[in-house]
Amino acid sequence: MAEIDNYHAVLLQLLLVIGLAATMLGLSVLVGRAGRRNAIKDSAYECGMLPIGDSQPRFSVKFYLVAMLFVLFDIEVVFMYPWAVVFRDLVAQNAMVFWGMLSFVGILTVAYVYALKKGALRWDN
Amino acid sequence: MPAYFLEIAIVLLGLGLLMVDAFATTLDRRLLGHLGIAGVAAVLAGLVFGVDSSASEPLWGFYATDTAALFYKGLALVCTLLVLVLALEYAPVLESYRDGRPGRRGLGEFLCLPLFLCAGLMWMASMTDLLGLFVALETVTITFYVVVAYMRRNLGSLEAGVKYLILGALSTGFLLYGLAWLFGLTGQTNLAAIQTVLVDWKGDTTPLLFTMALLMVGLSFKVGAAPFQFWIPDVYQGAPTPITAFLSVGSKAAGFIVLIRLLEPLLASPIRHAVLLMLGVLAGATLIVGNLAAISQSNFKRLLAYSSIAHAGFLLMALAAGQPAGGVSPNGVVALYLGTYLVMTMLAFAVLVIVRKAGGSDELTAFNGLSQRSPFLAFALVLAMASLAGVPLTAGFFGKFFSLVLIAGAGQWALLTVAVVAAACGFYYYFKVIRCMYWNDPVSEAPPLVFSQLTRVAIILLCVAVVVLGVYPKPLTCLLAP
Repeated sequence: MAEIDNYHAVLLQLLLVIGLAATMLGLSVLVGRAGRRNAIKDSAYECGMLPIGDSQPRFSVKFYLVAMLFVLFDIEVVFMYPWAVVFRDLVAQNAMVFWGMLSFVGILTVAYVYALKKGALRWDN
Repeated sequence: MPAYFLEIAIVLLGLGLLMVDAFATTLDRRLLGHLGIAGVAAVLAGLVFGVDSSASEPLWGFYATDTAALFYKGLALVCTLLVLVLALEYAPVLESYRDGRPGRRGLGEFLCLPLFLCAGLMWMASMTDLLGLFVALETVTITFYVVVAYMRRNLGSLEAGVKYLILGALSTGFLLYGLAWLFGLTGQTNLAAIQTVLVDWKGDTTPLLFTMALLMVGLSFKVGAAPFQFWIPDVYQGAPTPITAFLSVGSKAAGFIVLIRLLEPLLASPIRHAVLLMLGVLAGATLIVGNLAAISQSNFKRLLAYSSIAHAGFLLMALAAGQPAGGVSPNGVVALYLGTYLVMTMLAFAVLVIVRKAGGSDELTAFNGLSQRSPFLAFALVLAMASLAGVPLTAGFFGKFFSLVLIAGAGQWALLTVAVVAAACGFYYYFKVIRCMYWNDPVSEAPPLVFSQLTRVAIILLCVAVVVLGVYPKPLTCLLAP
């Protein structure tokens, strides 16, 4: 019996939680607007997208271009993390680790300038 | 000058040309090609005259500067040089399959990308570490994905791009899994260190065999060995012709460099016999498939694709011998074979580019009566075909001859028989092209064959190389010493 007594608090909390939730939901149906139904409200919720439409919608290829550039330059940062962790130890030996990263970023800069000049980031062309 | 300056120079050249392409909007894009050719020629001169290979191993044992590495670097540079010449010649065809205003149809990038390919190939020639080897291989492969699908309005090119991407990714997966097993078994990424572990391998050899199989599958895709050759004809046919030439020579050379480097520790391990057996089976299958499938081809590009499979068979056969014979080593024969293969294949593709540009077709019928339309081109193609078939006194003879010597020395008579029959098949389908040019009549109103002086010089030099290397192969035989 003694062990069961210890769970009274849990039972109390369970009742409190269920009661609170039921009260809130019930009140909002009775008093608020949540209970009113219309066609849009009854439709399936798809993260804000229209649930009915073409199953293979066409996206502008510009989205892919931007996403690809994002991935490329994002990877740059991924490489920089481990580099930053060991930089202090390695740069004490020689400066190769510094020039290595500088040339890597340099190549990416050239790529970025190239993408800019070719209008890869211009949306309205 | 340390050897790795050459790769840095090529990358800087490529980046520089890319910037010129981005900023100089009104420039004639052909100038980029000429600048690229001049730059690559300068780096080639640097390789021949300025490299100090005696310098101690730089870059933490990642980077070898032995004779083979320097030779394959030279091979990559010569190949890129010729591809750029062909790309300039092919430019009108390329632009006709792309959108945009004239002069803004991506020719600039098409002339820059071979430089990055070249840098990747040069790195690969020197890499002695699994990580470096894989990164270099991917540099080459990913750049190839881009250029293979470059003719955006040509369905064949797109199909080639998709096939190459999917099968390339698959083969890379196999290779990477094999490399992971190799690292897992030995705990090392440096090939020399791996070799010391494998020489004293005492345990069960099953994991070693599994690793070897994975590596072989991955690399068989890359070099186009049967039964992993299915992508080759379609991709070679669809890709822009200069890129097909690059694939056929550069990509194959790359596959064989990696194969040679990875085989070295495996051949020193207890599974040596299994490795040689597998190489022998691959070589035999590749020789049969490549040569028999080439016989019925009516498209010249496809014919050259199957011919490249057949040549991969001879190259694998040299490796399958596994031991030096008659004063020549397997690795040396592969180097010599790839060197001569470069010369004759580039010659064939140069003529194809010119004929394609004039006639709009890669079919063998487009070569009908070429001897009347242009005796010069017809003669060049006769030399290329004779050399590919392995006629004595042409460059192609020695590669085939030495690989047969090796396999005879190893006493593998079954493989030797297959190789001799395969070589005989080669005469039929290579000489079919010669028959088209000299026996068939040209179609009436055949358009004139025009090509630049640069291409003419390149073709003449290649013809001279085919004949000279066939009579006096001394410049290349220094590689052969065991």
